[in-house]
Amino acid sequence: MTSTTGVASRAMAGFGKSALGRAFGSWLGKIAGGFLILLLLMAIFAPWITPFDYAAQDLMNGNTPPAWPHLLGTDRFGRDVLSRVIYGARTSLSVSATAIAISVSVGMTLGAAAGYFGGLFERVVMTVVDLTWSFPDILIALIFVAIIGPGLTSTMFAIAIAYLAQFTRLTRAQIVQLKRETFIEATINLGARPSHILLRHLLPNAIAPVIVVGMLAIGDGIVLEATLGFFGLGAQPPTPSWGAMMSSGTAQLFLSPWVIIFPGVVVAVTVVAVNLFGDELIRALDIRDRIRGA
Amino acid sequence: MTALLEVRNLSKQFTSAGGPFRKARAMHAVNDVSFDLPKGRVIGVVGESGCGKSTLARLILRLIEPSAGTLRFDGQDLRAKSPGEMRRLRARMQMVFQDPYSAIDPRYTIARAVLEPFKVQGQKPTQLPAEEVAALLSMVGLSPGLASSYPHQLSGGQKQRVGIARALALRPSLLVLDEPTASLDVSVQAQIISLLQQLRDELGLTFLFISHDLRLVRYFCDEILVMYLGRVVEALPDTDAAARHPYTATLRESTFAVDPKQRRVITPLEGEVPSPFDLPPGCAFADRCRHARAICRTDTPALVAHDGHAVACHNPL
Repeated sequence: MTSTTGVASRAMAGFGKSALGRAFGSWLGKIAGGFLILLLLMAIFAPWITPFDYAAQDLMNGNTPPAWPHLLGTDRFGRDVLSRVIYGARTSLSVSATAIAISVSVGMTLGAAAGYFGGLFERVVMTVVDLTWSFPDILIALIFVAIIGPGLTSTMFAIAIAYLAQFTRLTRAQIVQLKRETFIEATINLGARPSHILLRHLLPNAIAPVIVVGMLAIGDGIVLEATLGFFGLGAQPPTPSWGAMMSSGTAQLFLSPWVIIFPGVVVAVTVVAVNLFGDELIRALDIRDRIRGA
Repeated sequence: MTALLEVRNLSKQFTSAGGPFRKARAMHAVNDVSFDLPKGRVIGVVGESGCGKSTLARLILRLIEPSAGTLRFDGQDLRAKSPGEMRRLRARMQMVFQDPYSAIDPRYTIARAVLEPFKVQGQKPTQLPAEEVAALLSMVGLSPGLASSYPHQLSGGQKQRVGIARALALRPSLLVLDEPTASLDVSVQAQIISLLQQLRDELGLTFLFISHDLRLVRYFCDEILVMYLGRVVEALPDTDAAARHPYTATLRESTFAVDPKQRRVITPLEGEVPSPFDLPPGCAFADRCRHARAICRTDTPALVAHDGHAVACHNPL
């Protein structure tokens, strides 16, 4: 009990500036965090920094290798790969982040309610949530594609559901553990309502690990988005998406490998950066033992 | 003298759920406890760990729902109160917890923690919030400068003082102290005890003081209840009354004298506390009692009062 409180107090600033600052403290954190910030800026300022229109076709100049003015070459329609990679960051990041945000909000609500109220409600919620774990992510995505058709909305739902169990379980575990702390009993004894206990004590103390795991999940979400894009179930042409670009590159893998290599490298580096930075955050917040098993 | 708190036949059973491969078992944590706590008095509850002292405290404050019995606080039947009424009543009956280290939310500043009682009860402090915090902190002997600190920046003793300030913020009439000094250093224990004594005199508080330390209880309390396996085995009307129950006598004997020259032979209790599951018939203490007779193993002795001194023993000393 005391150890939880100790951990919680060290993580007391929660998700404050100090923790982020400490995550940037190591050289790994600087590189990974720096890359993510760069990627984010790229995604935000895409229209201003892309050298070409991502959708502009130039069939006379298809499959040109990396060279000025097409720094990363062109695909078979003569579209600039660099511009498409930059725009692809927009798609990947926004789809993954939105999906995870939905997943975190729903998962935290369900997990907190299950952990706080317990009983039959907890059993039902946790069983249903665990069920989603028994389907592969791709299968969940296919279900949504079958229902609402291919596209970014299906992708978003698929990612959100795929990670729902993780956030629900993690939040529930935190709440169940925190509920046993003396300060909860003490506050109940002051005459606090359940809403006060839940919103002012339990959730604020449970939020830091959930946010960090959520951040790590954004990396996985990017991979899932790319996978669905690769199979043609995600972003539809001409929307640039890293997965879809790689998919279109397979046809000319040996003729113009840059079409598949550059988006692939960006996906890989982004996921590694997200994970490294997430690790640094976990270290800075000192919540490793609270995340285990999630 | 009217009783501020009236406890009658209070019991709590915890039942473990049965399944196809095991029987449901009942544990009697608190068994048929009755006593009166008059206004302004201090009753001490002593007993070994696991005897149900802390459960008793939580039953009285309805932090745990009793299985049976009645509770009257200031003439009102506590068990008949709706959750809303109970929440409002809690302002008048507060508790100080054993573990000061986890008794304050680690994310709360001391000022926020001390003002929380007002917020929770929907009351406005009589003074400006900052002044109220300063007044409460100095009442428990803390510097008002600590207001903006976080709990992890405080020592155990300081945290316990914050716990006391929180409990007293709403001016309760009853304060239940659940081993308030058990996790503190001896020197800090003394400070907390003298603080409690001083607050008792200043604010006219009524205390229920739970402890396993007989000497502390003797120093601090007016009356003593001795508990063994969920039952009150002896109720001493004053702290110097001679023990009549063999268990109380053994507890008394096992406290050490301050003077090293006053050595005496201590006869430690033989055997172990029986499991609170499936209690044997008769007196729960019989297996460890030097004076046990045949009847002690068959009939449970009732708590019988004689000149205000009650004892549950077939063969009192």
